[in-house]
Amino acid sequence: MNIKIAVIQFPAANCDFDAIHVLNNVMNIKADLVWHNHFKESQYDGVVLPGGFSFGDYLRAGIIAAHSPAVDEARIMLKDGRPVIGICNGFQILTEAQFLPGALLRNESLKFSCKWVNLKVENNKTAFTNKLKVGDVIDIPIAHGEGRYYTDDLKGLRENNQIVFRYSNEKGEFEKEANPNGSLDNIAGVCNLEHNCIGLMPHPERASEAILSPKGTEHGKLIFESMIEFIKRRVS
Amino acid sequence: MTKVKLDGEDIDVEMTEDEFKKVNDLLSREPNITELGMFDVMWSEHCSYKSSRPKLKLFEDAEANYDYVLAGPGQDAGVIDIGDGYALAFRIESHNHPSAIEPYHGAATGIGGIIRDILCMGVRPIALLDPLRFGRLKGNPHSQWLFKYVVKGIADYGNCTGIPTIGGEVEFDDSFESNCIVNVACIGLGTIEDFKHAPSRAYNPGDYLILMGGSTGRDGIHGVTFASRTLTEMSETDRPAVQIGDPFIKKMIIEATLEAVKTGYVRGLKDLGGGGLTCATSELTGDGNTGAKVDLKKVFTREPGMNSYEIMLSESQERMAFIVKPDGLEDILDIFTKYEMNFAVIGRTDDSKVLKVFDDEKLVVNIPAKALSESPTIKREEKRPSYLDELLTQKTPEPNLDLDEIIYKLIASENICSKEWVYRQYDHEVGVRSVVKCGEGDSGVLRVIGTDKFIAASVGVNSKHCFLDPYEGAKGGLVEECGNVISNGAKPLAMVNCCNFGNPEIPESFWYFSKAVQGMNDFCRALKIPIVGGNVSFYNEDDVKKTAIKATPEIMIVGIIEGEKKIITLPFKEVGNDVFLIGETKAELGGSEYHSVIHNLEGGKPPIVNEEIIQNRWDFLFELYNRNLVKANHDVNKGGILITISEMCFKNKLGVDLDFADCYNEHLRDDEFLFSESVGRFIIETSPEDHDLILDLAKEFNINVKKIGLLISKPIISVSGLKSDQFNLNLDKMKELYDSTIPNLMEI
Repeated sequence: MNIKIAVIQFPAANCDFDAIHVLNNVMNIKADLVWHNHFKESQYDGVVLPGGFSFGDYLRAGIIAAHSPAVDEARIMLKDGRPVIGICNGFQILTEAQFLPGALLRNESLKFSCKWVNLKVENNKTAFTNKLKVGDVIDIPIAHGEGRYYTDDLKGLRENNQIVFRYSNEKGEFEKEANPNGSLDNIAGVCNLEHNCIGLMPHPERASEAILSPKGTEHGKLIFESMIEFIKRRVS
Repeated sequence: MTKVKLDGEDIDVEMTEDEFKKVNDLLSREPNITELGMFDVMWSEHCSYKSSRPKLKLFEDAEANYDYVLAGPGQDAGVIDIGDGYALAFRIESHNHPSAIEPYHGAATGIGGIIRDILCMGVRPIALLDPLRFGRLKGNPHSQWLFKYVVKGIADYGNCTGIPTIGGEVEFDDSFESNCIVNVACIGLGTIEDFKHAPSRAYNPGDYLILMGGSTGRDGIHGVTFASRTLTEMSETDRPAVQIGDPFIKKMIIEATLEAVKTGYVRGLKDLGGGGLTCATSELTGDGNTGAKVDLKKVFTREPGMNSYEIMLSESQERMAFIVKPDGLEDILDIFTKYEMNFAVIGRTDDSKVLKVFDDEKLVVNIPAKALSESPTIKREEKRPSYLDELLTQKTPEPNLDLDEIIYKLIASENICSKEWVYRQYDHEVGVRSVVKCGEGDSGVLRVIGTDKFIAASVGVNSKHCFLDPYEGAKGGLVEECGNVISNGAKPLAMVNCCNFGNPEIPESFWYFSKAVQGMNDFCRALKIPIVGGNVSFYNEDDVKKTAIKATPEIMIVGIIEGEKKIITLPFKEVGNDVFLIGETKAELGGSEYHSVIHNLEGGKPPIVNEEIIQNRWDFLFELYNRNLVKANHDVNKGGILITISEMCFKNKLGVDLDFADCYNEHLRDDEFLFSESVGRFIIETSPEDHDLILDLAKEFNINVKKIGLLISKPIISVSGLKSDQFNLNLDKMKELYDSTIPNLMEI
């Protein structure tokens, strides 16, 4: 089958080319870079909202992009069960657009932070984690200033199994030092109730090739592989 | 400041009376106020390089001498051909004066400016590097304020535009207390076709002149003349001369410009930086041997009522000028519309060789296009400072501490400790090219996607060495920066520099500049490294304290690694491997961190460079590389060999059993040997089975190479074979000191 993914180019998205590179050249999947005003969902099997600073993030990260026509198109995909992923700024857009619960606040340190961290997989029943096992610890980098996850309904998230990734140490322990931004309960990524949409602050597209990874791992690739697997299962 | 009479009125200008006469001669009449302002800006030191040009003539011939140099000095950026059809552009610039007054926006707009310079070459900016200088942090809230907000300015601007900041360096020294140094370098990558598409000249009459990007406001008027003066307490009132950056618009400009260049319809491209519209229009037409008519009413302004003087001299950020072929106008405007950028067709080129600017029907500027670039040069006097004799003969006192205590102090000192606090704030990975990341190597290494080529880049210089001897210090900077890319396995290909010096009107300050230029020139010619660009920042003085900054000729080197397997990294890798020291250690402690931290001395004998020996060492290293003998490499830098070795131990938590018996030199004291900053030395890790081969090759190349140690699993450095007794260094303690210094000073 011919799978086709869209990567949305919001003004001042800046991880758009990186996502395209990984999908095209690492995953060998057809992926188009689509300007946000030009996006039409009907042509695509899945959509990536990439990282960056959409509209400069001057008002509040992701809030302006959340009102882009591209998000209305993505909402149609969300409703009919196609996979939607928001990475970093894309995650901020998805919470602002209420695809996903919660909000992303300024890092506890009040500073931007770029470094490799570990995530522990909490839920492998989503469109983006079916190639992972619950309890797996993956290597992946973060690069954000506003990534402190917050929700006033942690209980609900837990009950509905909406927590997908949590920051941990290499051994999978949730110590305070492993939490790079002060996120509530070390939460790094969450999904919607239907599990076809996830958002995460870390960058899987930066962790999909061994040459870029300090430990030579390619864990980010598993997230994209899961998406492909999900699309294949969905249409078959 | 000079007073000149215009229309019977007294006007303050920066130019001299002689220069004012020359303006009158060039025009064969008196200039009007707008024209006078334009000449004043374009003939400022910052735009015209009037003091430095006579010296920089030495650098002019890179394009002629090296076939892979596509663009050399005098262009917006240096460009080299790196093979496989790719062109690499790079440049470094200063933004010292604005940053000293307003660190956040000063640093941010510095990034903005250098990005535009790279964009002008038609290629995508892919990396930033920032060498910085401040006063000492400890007990100095002003330095902490500057440091904090310069870093934040760089981070916020660079991160938003999606260009990774992959390297840089920071030095802290009292001489930079009020006049900090903020230099910014940018690297661009594109195809050779992209580069050829975008000359920064308007060659063809009849093309459209389009202004695109941010609106023109009253900010930054006379920013360059401000940068051509010494900072005084009055400078606080110059704060409106510091521009405000907008990285969001800049990101849009980058994408819109690159898409426009790809069409082939853009025949000329120039950014609006220092000198604003004046500089862009006059250089495009003057260099292209054309003229133009410009209509100021078309320029979109931020506020109503701006007059022609303000519009022509505004240095508002985020603006680009395009020269576009008539039949491509519509396509280009469509691209700008897609990116929701403001734009206006503000004029057309012609063959008049005259720049005519209209405000409505009124002709407000009418000057020969080339006149603005015909600034006079000034021959400055140079004189060796008399204080140097005393400084150079300073002796190293006997150490009053044990060697291990000295090393713990050094590793925790501001100039040696980890700069992680800085680079964590920079997105150094966006673009998925960063292979050797901040803190993992001596240089930043980027892959060229789609090839097996890697770019290594490093920037820096040792200001303390340059203060004592600018000629040897500049050469030493080259050895160090080349050494950094070589440590990662790259062959140095080209250099650009950013000369930060004091007031050129003071002969002692100009002497430093002159000697540094001579040093760079001599070294680069001997080692066959083309100098493809440079920037000069004078007037880095503190008028209140009457002191100049320590001479800082920042040097940026780019190199190429041919193949992933050829990349070498810094950390020690395997227990049982050998550690070798390459290169001779001399009693060169002048300007060293040891002198500064332990003895509070600025003087002494700084390192001397011998080009032949350096070339030989590099040849030897590349022979080892070709045979795949090197597992880790780090060049010896501030603090000397034990600091270098400790840094190699940290990442993989290995220790070293060191025995310096083979390095015994009866004329060298232990502190001289351990803390010398003799340039061009390397510490390498190799496999024990290659031990004999390495020593045989060393003999063949006639290189001073000594085995000094063995990697162990215990996190200690055991030091023996010195004149003093054996001692141990605790690496956990070293790492704690190394990591905590800056956070302890900055996170209060």
